Amino acid sequence: MVAATAKKEVECILAARDLHKHYRMGEEDLHVLAGVEIAVKPGEWVAVLGASGSGKSTLLHLLGGLDRPDQGQVWFDGQEVFRLRGGRLDRYRNQHVGFVFQFYHLLPELTALENVLIGAMVGTTMWGWPLISREKRQQATDLLEQLGLGERLRHRPNKLSGGERQRVAIARALVNNPDVLLADEPTGNLDQKTGQQILEVLQSLHRAGQSIVMVTHDTRIAAAADRQVTLEGGRLRA
Amino acid sequence: MYKLLLVLRYLRRKLAPMFAALAVTLCTAMVIIVSSVMGGFLDMFKVAARQASSDVTVESGLGGFPHYEELVKRLESLPEVAGATAVVRSFGLVRLEGNTNGVEIMGIDPGGYDKVSDYKKMLYWTSDYFVKWIEDLKNEQGGANPQEQQRLEEGARYYRENDFRQYAMQFEIPPGWRNARAENAGESPEAGANTGGVSGAADTSGGPGVVLGIAVSPYQRRDEKGQYDFENSPLRSASSREVVVTVLPVTKQGGVLEPAVRKMIAVNEFKSGLYEIDKNRVYVAFDFLQKLLKMDSHQRFNEETGNLSGEMVPGRAHRVMVRAKEGVTSEQLQQRVEAELLKLGTDYEDVGPLLAVTWQEAHQGLLGAVEKEKLMVTFLFAVVSVVAYAMIAVIFYMIVMEKTRDIGVLRALGAAREGVAGIFLGYGLAIGIVGSLLGLFLAAEVVWNINEIQALLARTVGFQMWNPEVYYFDRIPSQLNPKEVTVIVGTAILASVLGALVPAIAAARLNPVEALRYE
Repeated sequence: MVAATAKKEVECILAARDLHKHYRMGEEDLHVLAGVEIAVKPGEWVAVLGASGSGKSTLLHLLGGLDRPDQGQVWFDGQEVFRLRGGRLDRYRNQHVGFVFQFYHLLPELTALENVLIGAMVGTTMWGWPLISREKRQQATDLLEQLGLGERLRHRPNKLSGGERQRVAIARALVNNPDVLLADEPTGNLDQKTGQQILEVLQSLHRAGQSIVMVTHDTRIAAAADRQVTLEGGRLRA
Repeated sequence: MYKLLLVLRYLRRKLAPMFAALAVTLCTAMVIIVSSVMGGFLDMFKVAARQASSDVTVESGLGGFPHYEELVKRLESLPEVAGATAVVRSFGLVRLEGNTNGVEIMGIDPGGYDKVSDYKKMLYWTSDYFVKWIEDLKNEQGGANPQEQQRLEEGARYYRENDFRQYAMQFEIPPGWRNARAENAGESPEAGANTGGVSGAADTSGGPGVVLGIAVSPYQRRDEKGQYDFENSPLRSASSREVVVTVLPVTKQGGVLEPAVRKMIAVNEFKSGLYEIDKNRVYVAFDFLQKLLKMDSHQRFNEETGNLSGEMVPGRAHRVMVRAKEGVTSEQLQQRVEAELLKLGTDYEDVGPLLAVTWQEAHQGLLGAVEKEKLMVTFLFAVVSVVAYAMIAVIFYMIVMEKTRDIGVLRALGAAREGVAGIFLGYGLAIGIVGSLLGLFLAAEVVWNINEIQALLARTVGFQMWNPEVYYFDRIPSQLNPKEVTVIVGTAILASVLGALVPAIAAARLNPVEALRYE
């Protein structure tokens, strides 16, 4: 039974089993995730739909190892994520997943290029960085150019439009070639036209084989994914 | 790597850290300036104290001790000793231009005394110091005031042409002066009457000259630059250089004999740098004072027969001053001298109890006070600095609050908790380094130019924080002690890191998910 489960999880790049998460709001206990099961195959694009407050972001944070579940496991490439020790969980977040947030969350002090590079910098030491900085810089520049930001490399976030910021954020998430892109309402803060552009970016990434888990409340956006699941009452249903 | 990048970026982009750095700068500068100036004081006192009292002094009571020649000979043969000389001293009175003051009268052998105490250098009217001062004054005044110019020329010539250093080294009276005194006495009989039954130059073996402490004469005043004007020196006129010295001989048993009074001539003045000494000491020839105090070698008087017994009583001295060779500390020398004293005590039964005192011990009252004062003031300012580091902690805490969401983002990008803490510790380190180095530059600027700053203050707003007429040093000490500066800068940097520690830990402990939601 255990072997079978493990085998099943190996086939998926990312999987969650029986995830539970409680939040305490004063006296009230919110059982946000009540036994969530999800499996993402390599190259698959899964959209998680749900009303606001339904726990979509929480699920994404758990999948990305940013938050810990009260119960249940997250498996990545045959390994249980929350059993990773000694900085390997940090490394998992850095190397294997890439987060894209609704509000971009760029660092205001850094230029567009530096915001992308910081993801790569986090993964190396001060002594290792000079060895790879040239290559990473090239890669980050290429990424930004592909996303149409070739002219914006030295601009700080406050000089960029919303759509541009989100594209920088996507480039940052991609700079370490992650196995899974975790996007939390990537178009939620953008007007329809700009949102559409971001969606096109995700689509082209997906065509190139990128696995994506995207959280959204917008069914039109979700339609672009291979598969839609809805989070309701703490559980996912297809 | 991202830590370094963020530290550099945060440092450049924010006003708050600039204030934190400014606080570090000011505190560092403040502590360095205070400790430098106070330390400079202490050093100047120390140099003056050591100069005035040699490294180790062997002391006895007022009755003195015999066999001092033997002790000097033995001490001079020690490898640690650069020189040793015997001194007789007495408390007495000096009358100068109608003023009588109590002083310490020291009988010295100038050659030997110079070996233990920079005597030659202390002689004021022949010092390079004085020569330079008069040259500076001449240049400063230029040709603006021909009268003053002439006065200075004349003054410089007076001290140049009379070899006062030589006279002071032998307690000799310059050739022309005897006549002048005789003429003077002839002209005003009252002056002669004033001196009462004082015997003249008859009994002045070893030279009748006397070297006065520069502040002994009540007419000596320091100008606003802290200099003595040669015009006021007792040496300038025949009547003013007449000095009447009264001493009270003390027998070996502690009895007091009849006071001895001698008329002498001032041949130079000395400035040791310690006001107490310059105000209260005069130097005369060793043999002269020894005889005056009846401490010289003489035949014992036979009380039964009323005749001289033919038995010789050895001469006595009060002190033997010893200077250490280069590289020998006064404590090491003290130990060697103490060993010699023990030997001397066993060889001669009549030596009596002797004490070897280092110059630090001799001046403990003054040095200890200044040392404590320095420590206290530095400590107080260090306490004030704690406020600045509390400020760093607060500013950093505010920065952490402001950067909460960024911290969440960094954690999402895979940064470890330690890495996040490292950013803020590195930030504290950077602020400490920048702030304390700026503080060092500021302090160096202030300390090195403190006399000019004070002159500027005095000229522009009339505030004179340093009054050379009051303080004994002419200039505010302006030296940086590299060891002290290193410690202060190091402490400032460490304190900055410590100030950032609590905020850094708070940053590391942030829950990344909550941090991301932080508005």
